[in-house]
Amino acid sequence: MKKVIENLRETAARLLQNKEAEVVIGWGLGSEAVRTQPVFITSPDNVDKLVWNPFCVNGLTKYLSDLKTRPGKIAVVVKGCDSRGIYRLTQDNIIPRDKVVVIGIPCAGQMSYTKLASKMDVSGQLNDVEDKGEDLLIKTSKGDFTVKKSEVLLDKCLTCEHHNPVVADHVVGDTINTCPTPDNYEEIKKFEAMSTEEKARFWLSQFERCIRCYACRNICPGCTCRECIFDAIKPDWVGKEINVSENELFHLTRAFHLAGRCVDCGECDRVCPMDIPIRLLNKKLLKDCKELFNMEPPGSTEEGGSVLGQYRLEDPEEFM
Amino acid sequence: MANKSLKKVQLKSLLDKIAGSGQLIAPIQSDGITLFKPVQSGEGVVLDYQNAVIPPKDFFFPQSEKMFSYDTSDPTWAIKPEEGVPERVLFGARPCDVKSILLLDKVFDAEFRDDIYIDKRNKTTIIAVSCNDCRHTCFCGAFGISPGEAEGADLLFTDLGGRYLVEVLTDKGSTLAAECSDLLSDDDGNGPAAKEKAVAPAKEKQMNIDLEGVKAKLDNMFEHPIWAEESLRCLGCGTCTFICPTCHCFDIVDFNNQSSIGYRYRCADSCQFANFTRAAGGHQPRPSKMERIRQRFMHKLRYFVDRYGDFGCVGCGRCLEKCPVNLDIAQIINKVKEVG
Repeated sequence: MKKVIENLRETAARLLQNKEAEVVIGWGLGSEAVRTQPVFITSPDNVDKLVWNPFCVNGLTKYLSDLKTRPGKIAVVVKGCDSRGIYRLTQDNIIPRDKVVVIGIPCAGQMSYTKLASKMDVSGQLNDVEDKGEDLLIKTSKGDFTVKKSEVLLDKCLTCEHHNPVVADHVVGDTINTCPTPDNYEEIKKFEAMSTEEKARFWLSQFERCIRCYACRNICPGCTCRECIFDAIKPDWVGKEINVSENELFHLTRAFHLAGRCVDCGECDRVCPMDIPIRLLNKKLLKDCKELFNMEPPGSTEEGGSVLGQYRLEDPEEFM
Repeated sequence: MANKSLKKVQLKSLLDKIAGSGQLIAPIQSDGITLFKPVQSGEGVVLDYQNAVIPPKDFFFPQSEKMFSYDTSDPTWAIKPEEGVPERVLFGARPCDVKSILLLDKVFDAEFRDDIYIDKRNKTTIIAVSCNDCRHTCFCGAFGISPGEAEGADLLFTDLGGRYLVEVLTDKGSTLAAECSDLLSDDDGNGPAAKEKAVAPAKEKQMNIDLEGVKAKLDNMFEHPIWAEESLRCLGCGTCTFICPTCHCFDIVDFNNQSSIGYRYRCADSCQFANFTRAAGGHQPRPSKMERIRQRFMHKLRYFVDRYGDFGCVGCGRCLEKCPVNLDIAQIINKVKEVG
């Protein structure tokens, strides 16, 4: 981990020094031991703020859309899952590929803040993290804690298709040779086996909680419409009133807008303050697109675009 | 009224009794999430929770509520007001959340009187519960709030192990205590001392944030570069504002579904959204995230003090915990003190 951090800082410093990038977006230490926060480094003198540890959960690619009008190139640090967001943005013409410098870090899995907070005092400042194989030794200003990785790993990391970034101009860290573990959609199959009424009961009870903060949309590299349907005032397609009907419309519309485009980074799940399993909706659409069109996880390759935005004569059309 | 005592085993009976004679709102857990909900009995009410994800503010200022309905085909164009809420009891509010309701009173029940808010306030008896423990994100002490005091509540319960100390704080509380007198006994006099001991861990464990000088400093920080810097990582979502017990900005919208019948509702709005300040003709006084996060922190720590003489934050820690990018108000307070 220390070597990766060193490499990361050296790479960032070199990019900024040589004006190969005007800003480097990465992770810095957060206000609690097991959290990091996105940092935006513009001077080689500040690269020490960059860190790499098992708490770098935030996907950073969406910031490219915020900063795309800045002069010069933007460097962004990505894990495997985040890296698919780069191609999402370039395929959607949100930012040209040559405007972005991708710093890729192979990642063995990230730890959940919520799970960690239930197992240890996370309120201190992080001093060091040591990878002890099955355990993590987390050294903080409030004491040292040993946690079992398998107990605090983010759920999404259990089925990781890309431990290594799919795109990187600079790779820091060693390639991870663990076999990817594509999702076999066991959970989705359980839902598919339910009756319509059972599914409705489940989802409506989830949507009922939604507070429409739009964190899921705002973190999503696939949500980059110039004017989002949920922000439109005239016509107001979706009412601002918070009730299960409007909330359902919001979630289902968002899921359909991402069908064949969602890069499955899982960030919508993580950021939801109400713990709505938003990713399940996207997973269902990923499964369908995979079965119908043999779709790779979107964003896996530079070419591709949206599978539902293309037409082939041999496309299945049994629904017609 | 003198302090009362309630055996812990009797709490469910007490809640059952309250629920039997009116509406009871209490914290319950489903899908692993603690939320305040109207309940039919004391069954399933959680007592060891630290903070509900959504504050009980929602029962006074709901995230979304109908104001009135109308029918334009009615020759008199009569406006039909919404029926108010029934008499009800809110059980389990934490001291920080009770304080937040006092702050909302300054907004909705002072110079401008908001009838639909006041109706809910008047019809609600609040039973607060002291904190024996706290979350690592709690910092109510910074705002002079104590885990064992709840000015603004009608009754205050404190878990003393086998029993609750029941402090009667208002006449409303006294009425409710009298109605439940068969379940309450007189405190033996040891209650207050035992309470201090019971809430000590919550006092010690919470974050120590010092607000000394912060307001005065913020008075001159409108143009400070800290806002641009901190706003870079903000997603512009409404999480912090919608889970905040003191945020109270709302929008008013008419709904009529292309017919003569419609209704007007108001719903919480977030200063972090671009539409929040978008004016007719497209003018946007807060065009970027910089202006929006500055507004949020300034409103809590400076403007609210200017207008109402109190901070607009109660240190409940919800936004610290839930912000997806770790934009942490406690960290901002410390940074404000450090920067030049």
